[in-house]
Amino acid sequence: MSLSSALQQLASYRANNTRASQETFKKGVTILKSRNAPNLGEDGWAFLEQLALASIDIGRLDVADECTKQLSEKFPNSPRVAVLVGIRKEASESPESVLRYYDGVLEEDSANAAIWKRRISVLKRIGKTEKAVDELSKFLDTFYTDVEGWLELADIYSSCNQYTSSLQALSHALVLAPQNPFTALQFAETAYTAGDLPLALKMFLVVTEMVERDIPAPEDSAPTGISVRAWWGVKLCSRRLIESPPSSPSASDTPVPKTIKLIDELATERVLTSYSGEQGAEGRQLVSQWISAY
Amino acid sequence: MATNYTISTQAYFKLFFHAAKHPHKSVNGVLLGNKAQNGTITIEDAIPLLHHWTSLSPMMEIGLDLAGQYAESSGLKLVGYYQACERLDETALAPVGERVAGKVKAGFEDAIAFVIDGEKIGTEAAALIPYVSQSSSSSWRPAAGSAFTPGSPFQLASSDLPVRAIAHVRDDHLHHAFGDFDDHLEDVSIDWLRNRTCIPADL
Repeated sequence: MSLSSALQQLASYRANNTRASQETFKKGVTILKSRNAPNLGEDGWAFLEQLALASIDIGRLDVADECTKQLSEKFPNSPRVAVLVGIRKEASESPESVLRYYDGVLEEDSANAAIWKRRISVLKRIGKTEKAVDELSKFLDTFYTDVEGWLELADIYSSCNQYTSSLQALSHALVLAPQNPFTALQFAETAYTAGDLPLALKMFLVVTEMVERDIPAPEDSAPTGISVRAWWGVKLCSRRLIESPPSSPSASDTPVPKTIKLIDELATERVLTSYSGEQGAEGRQLVSQWISAY
Repeated sequence: MATNYTISTQAYFKLFFHAAKHPHKSVNGVLLGNKAQNGTITIEDAIPLLHHWTSLSPMMEIGLDLAGQYAESSGLKLVGYYQACERLDETALAPVGERVAGKVKAGFEDAIAFVIDGEKIGTEAAALIPYVSQSSSSSWRPAAGSAFTPGSPFQLASSDLPVRAIAHVRDDHLHHAFGDFDDHLEDVSIDWLRNRTCIPADL
């Protein structure tokens, strides 16, 4: 692989925030050794940061140190390099020592959001979930628009069975990023896990609508990608709602649609169609069996 | 008297590959097998479910149903559940794990759950912590006694499975092609039930 295509691949990983650490390390270390890094211009520094992170991820702390050294020399007192130094410390020092380091940085610069988030992730890692949630909530009070933070909070709440709080956090994420179908999907799945089937159904349908909005005649083609998962969700919800109609209103007061049987039929058709091509041939029988079990 | 459990090569490799493919995430799946005449439970196969949103249930429920149907069609039963945690030092069975394991137990009395030991995986140890429960509605606790040592009720089909699994990941990269139900939902051509291309020819 040529130098320029390796650089392109690494640049695209950075743009998409991809954590392909093995690949990144393999390509990156060759570039580092060829001593071309400083000649990469502006991108060279982002590259060194990326290689440092990948190296830490796969346990090559020696390479990480080389990268961090160059970055520290070039950008002394940089808040961004401080984060990298912190992450490097996380790999070899005790959590208490790392937390002290982060506290130190925050004392000098309380607006360093990245450091704050690292601190929270260390708390989560050592099992101090309540403290992590507390800190994360405070963080989000200050940095309200940090979508990643809201999603993380939702995830932590779900893992402790606190679904209502999780849904609240996801609502904020939805307000900030209303076009992101994955957030709506996470909301739908969380609502289902919490037992609020009408709400889950509504959100699964919202996902299908978001994804199929730009397709001219979605009913004529097989669902792909996230649609498949969403239609499965619709099918699961509608099936359960038909089988055991809820006797009390849902927690969110979402009504069961009057057209539930039609929705169920549509979802059945959509899920089966996902398996209709050559791709789905293998799975089709099992899926039909599941669908006709009710 | 303790029930004996043996994990086959295929089952062990598959759960190993699942964990190896997503080292910084939680993963979970179910175990398939049968009860032999002499009462030993043989775990013949493992079917991987999720590596994403592992605290959320809808896709897990569908995956569990489909895995159960597949088991039946292959003359096997759902006999257990496995999971790997995000954190190396976490060895508890997550609440979601207890729920799934409970469901499996409702259909198979001797159901077993395993948590992958993040500190030990990658060594010659089996790195699996068994969990048992008294009934499908009671909580799960680590099984008494040692596991995967001579004389223990928990055995691997052969003691070199961990070392062979490591080699398959490190040298053959068999885990790269491994797909679970989460992957299948994004691309229905992914063979999550069998993962044929990941099974080494010399099993």
